[in-house]
Amino acid sequence: MNRTLNVVRMQLVNRATFIWVPLIVLGGTLAISLLIFGMLSTSAIDTTTMFGGGAQAPLWYFLAVGVQALTLSFPFSQAMSVTRREFYLGTLLTAALTSVGLAVIFVIGGLIEQATRGWGMNAYMFRLTWIWSQGPLVAGLFFAVVAMLFFVVGFFFATVYKRWGNLILTVLLIGLGLVLVGGLWVVGRMDAWGPVFTWFGSLTPIALTGALVLVIAALSAVSYGTLRRAIA
Amino acid sequence: MTAVIEVKNLTKRYRDTTAVDDISFTIERDAIYGLLGRNGAGKTTVMSILTAQNFPTAGDIRVFGESPYENAAVLSRMCFVRESQKYPDDATPTHAFRIARLFYPNWDQGVADRLIREFRLPMKTRIKKLSRGQLSAVGVIIGIAARAEVTFFDEPYLGLDAVARQIFYDRLLEDYAEHPRTIILSSHLIDEVANLLEKVLVIDAGRIIMDEDTESIRGRASTIVGETSVVEEFVAGREVIHRESLGRTTSATLLGALSPEDRTELSLAGLDVLPVSLQQLIVRQTQNAVHTDEGALR
Repeated sequence: MNRTLNVVRMQLVNRATFIWVPLIVLGGTLAISLLIFGMLSTSAIDTTTMFGGGAQAPLWYFLAVGVQALTLSFPFSQAMSVTRREFYLGTLLTAALTSVGLAVIFVIGGLIEQATRGWGMNAYMFRLTWIWSQGPLVAGLFFAVVAMLFFVVGFFFATVYKRWGNLILTVLLIGLGLVLVGGLWVVGRMDAWGPVFTWFGSLTPIALTGALVLVIAALSAVSYGTLRRAIA
Repeated sequence: MTAVIEVKNLTKRYRDTTAVDDISFTIERDAIYGLLGRNGAGKTTVMSILTAQNFPTAGDIRVFGESPYENAAVLSRMCFVRESQKYPDDATPTHAFRIARLFYPNWDQGVADRLIREFRLPMKTRIKKLSRGQLSAVGVIIGIAARAEVTFFDEPYLGLDAVARQIFYDRLLEDYAEHPRTIILSSHLIDEVANLLEKVLVIDAGRIIMDEDTESIRGRASTIVGETSVVEEFVAGREVIHRESLGRTTSATLLGALSPEDRTELSLAGLDVLPVSLQQLIVRQTQNAVHTDEGALR
């Protein structure tokens, strides 16, 4: 256990990757979003409520972090005589901790937006109506799970790359693309877009959060199986 | 003597090449081993399998009596920094040593600090910006300061200048004398490390062709120099692994220890006996292995 916690410390020794860069990305998008909100609100449309998608920028960065946590830290962990299991658990724990940290910032941002009526401009990037429809706790949970999902997706594809190389990774990505297109085709064929959208509309944040947790669990499990036989 | 590593019939095959071909050996506690051989002989593959960084195709490996794979109790007593080791992105030597201190229970910061000074390692430069020699220094410092019970050094001198290499050899021996442990040094520069080694494992084309004490190897061959006809008369019927002639002088390298009678005969005949360096002996042996194996090569 101690060695697993040391893996967390290993991942966090260089604070840039997990802490400073996500914060800079978030701060940067917040500043840019506020400037844009400001420009829009002075142009006499301040009665409308504005929503910005800038908050997703650090989430995308988590995808890259997931990739880097494996490709760059795994070989070094091997030189530190860390088992694959310790590396895996420690790395996911690090991701979970940072995801929760990010979610806390998002919720604080949302509460600020709520208190200031959208930065005084009726503009929101954290307090998105649907996500907050079940309160700040569920919203925070949702943000944490989404951040974790981005990380795990990056980590999953990196393990595939590490174990089987570029060719298999490409084949897998194309395969997933085909499955997606096939799914869209089936829905269209069955004339089922109406019910699908209704179903999406009826989803509650907590239900979607639960579904994403299942996806995370599945991807993590497969990543572990892949990593156990991977060579740094 | 107790064995810390036991390898039985280890084989590692990649798609169409056999990197390690059915080798068996044991490594004993508290000794310095040389794992010698040409580039691509299989040295790194063997070391990475022993540390569970890579997987054997067949065979059995015991380290401290157990399988090392996913075995934290065994792995935490070993240290293997690869010659081509990758470090976390943007990590500096400061970061790398801070992490190493977390994982190696016997880590000695004093030793690390001294080596950092002696190697003049820039601690704030990102590792990916370091020169080849400085990169090797990072691995060498981790290997020595970790004081793991079994430590592997994989071509540790690459890119190090002569002064730095000497620092490495000196500090390694000093620290080994104070804290005996098992050290396995892979190298293709045999003469440079020959004085450090107590035991020698020579690997060639995936096979062990020599597994002996350095001392016994040294006495195992000698070079006879003198007038061609006299030399030829003496070496007739003996195993000659190398022969060179210049004018009427011939030098012949003989395998096998010389008896006192041989020595008397040699001095009466006016022939000189020169010692054979470990490197010469291994080079000759490796070349011979290639010649005798030619029929078996695919």
